Amino acid sequence: MLDLFVKAVAYSSCIGIGATSITLIYNATKTFNFAHASLVAWGMYVVFASTHLIGHTPYHHFLLAALFGSLIGGSIYATVNRRLLKAKAKEITLMMSTLGVDLVLYGFLNVFSDYLLRVHRLPAKYFIFETRDIAIVLGPFSVRLIGLVAPVVLVSIVVLLHTFLTRTKLGVSMRAGIENPELASLSGINLEVTYLIAWLVGGALAGLSGGMLTLVVTGYTEAGMTMVVSFFAGAIAGGLYSIYGALLGGFLVGLGEYLGVSALATLVGGWIYAYRPAIPLVVIATTLLIQPGGLAVLWGGRK
Amino acid sequence: MIELPSSVLQVILNFSIGLIVTVSLNIEVGFLNLPQFGRLLAVLSGAIVAAAIPGRIIAASLGLPWGADYAYHLYNFGIVAKINEALSRNPGLSIGILILTLALAAIIGGLIGYLSVYPALRLREAYLGITLLAFGELLMNIAWNYDPLVGGTMGVWVIDPFRFVGAGGARFTFAALFIFFVAIAIYVYAEFLARSPFGRTLKAVRDAEVAASVYGKDIVKIRTQTLIIGGSIAAIAGALWAFFTGSMKATTYTRLTWTFWPWAFMMLGGVGNNLGILLGVFLYTITRTAIIVYKGALSAVIPIDPEWLEYIMIGLVIVAVVLFRPQGIIPEKPTLALPKHRIKTIQKSLEKRKS
Repeated sequence: MLDLFVKAVAYSSCIGIGATSITLIYNATKTFNFAHASLVAWGMYVVFASTHLIGHTPYHHFLLAALFGSLIGGSIYATVNRRLLKAKAKEITLMMSTLGVDLVLYGFLNVFSDYLLRVHRLPAKYFIFETRDIAIVLGPFSVRLIGLVAPVVLVSIVVLLHTFLTRTKLGVSMRAGIENPELASLSGINLEVTYLIAWLVGGALAGLSGGMLTLVVTGYTEAGMTMVVSFFAGAIAGGLYSIYGALLGGFLVGLGEYLGVSALATLVGGWIYAYRPAIPLVVIATTLLIQPGGLAVLWGGRK
Repeated sequence: MIELPSSVLQVILNFSIGLIVTVSLNIEVGFLNLPQFGRLLAVLSGAIVAAAIPGRIIAASLGLPWGADYAYHLYNFGIVAKINEALSRNPGLSIGILILTLALAAIIGGLIGYLSVYPALRLREAYLGITLLAFGELLMNIAWNYDPLVGGTMGVWVIDPFRFVGAGGARFTFAALFIFFVAIAIYVYAEFLARSPFGRTLKAVRDAEVAASVYGKDIVKIRTQTLIIGGSIAAIAGALWAFFTGSMKATTYTRLTWTFWPWAFMMLGGVGNNLGILLGVFLYTITRTAIIVYKGALSAVIPIDPEWLEYIMIGLVIVAVVLFRPQGIIPEKPTLALPKHRIKTIQKSLEKRKS
């Protein structure tokens, strides 16, 4: 029971961090980022490869996953998104462009995994890193470290993002650029910097959440595509306009997938476990149809 | 009966199914600008109809189990084998059941389209796209887990209404050609639709919704009709695919194959233009088959698995089209209300009257 709870908290924190990435990029650039799937999967593989090739624990390589995600995010902006934003492309066009990027990244991720398999003889098709996690013994209980690290990272990201967006000049001008692009650019704010930062930070969060997820779920190249629905659900449940909403939304979707299903199973029977992937989908559909504002309406909308 | 080589059959089949799905997508996206990211939903419902309903009807009439047992994997194979044997001896029944199933799939697909109206009226752009995508995934998840429907994780065998022409190559040739003719018929229908007053109304609503409603066009009704038409056509593609492959497993119906790829074909060819779509689907089918056929030769030249090359290629195509040629290979042209020569004669007669 404790193990399930720890896993649920870790998973939910990762989903919350990833959902924040989607929300941040969507707000800044009006791009609903389908490439998120591959960013997360790349994050997983960066941690996998560097843990095997460099050594140390997976925790040592979380930062590398974040940096790598940031690099990809920045490249997506520089090569594709920037041009489209300049051409004032429609939301659907922006979304489709990231889908194209996602397929390219997915293709190269598989090439990378083939490379790890053939050249370095690593089990890169499927890998389970949970066994490499560090156990922390608290009296009679033994808790996996990720169950503590993931929520701490989540909270620190909230604090950092909050400080960045409200206390620094760059962050305030970024918020202005998001709220009212025309007015902001008239008052001398460089919107391109806003967009670039959103992609850099968004990419880093996606990579980081993928990296941490290696200690929670099984790693395989399609993992991003499978889990992306949960990230979307988290972002949408949060209202898609609020990074705090996204953090909370992602966290709740994650908890629903683990603890919600277990609770339901005791009520209706074990067959419900099979429908676990349906939970984020139901969350998406109900939020959008009933309250498209999402959880963010709880504290008065956008922030 | 002539037997075509399997690579040619693959091209014909992939082209035909791709064309049907993409045409249906284009009616919604190209003509009306609905962000249909849930094409999978209608396609999958069509496949479920083909896998779950005609087999059960025949099983019931033959006195075989047709309830939940029908989809149970230990019985299903035997039941479907018996049905196929009966069908192979009875061309009339085969054709009848084929037509009936396609009609039923179209009705269910239309119903799915009708149900999508509620979100389609409330939500816009990315929100609507994601909602429709979620519905598609949800149906896939149910079909994958709820065994009595189409066998769940074990899948089911689908009855074969093409068996009466003979087994093996003859059957596949006949089936592929039949699907090809259905695809062409649907393409012709879509072209008529584009040139009809209804088609022009759709494009008017797409380009200037407020103006169209000022001129008395009922936007809700138009959106509803379009979603029903698109859903019906997509469901026919799903049913045909299930019949051709002879088996049904929910997870083979992914958003990648049945939603995103058709989007890529459409964007490559030209959004809102049927001929462009035909070209887009054709180009992609040819390239894909070439990759599969020359797999060995390719992997000798480039050190990566050709399967991943396909993803990278299609991704690059999407990005390149979006960046450099958003209108596609063949851009959409305004459709004329009357044939060109009649417009010219009217023009001439007007000029005469002036002078």
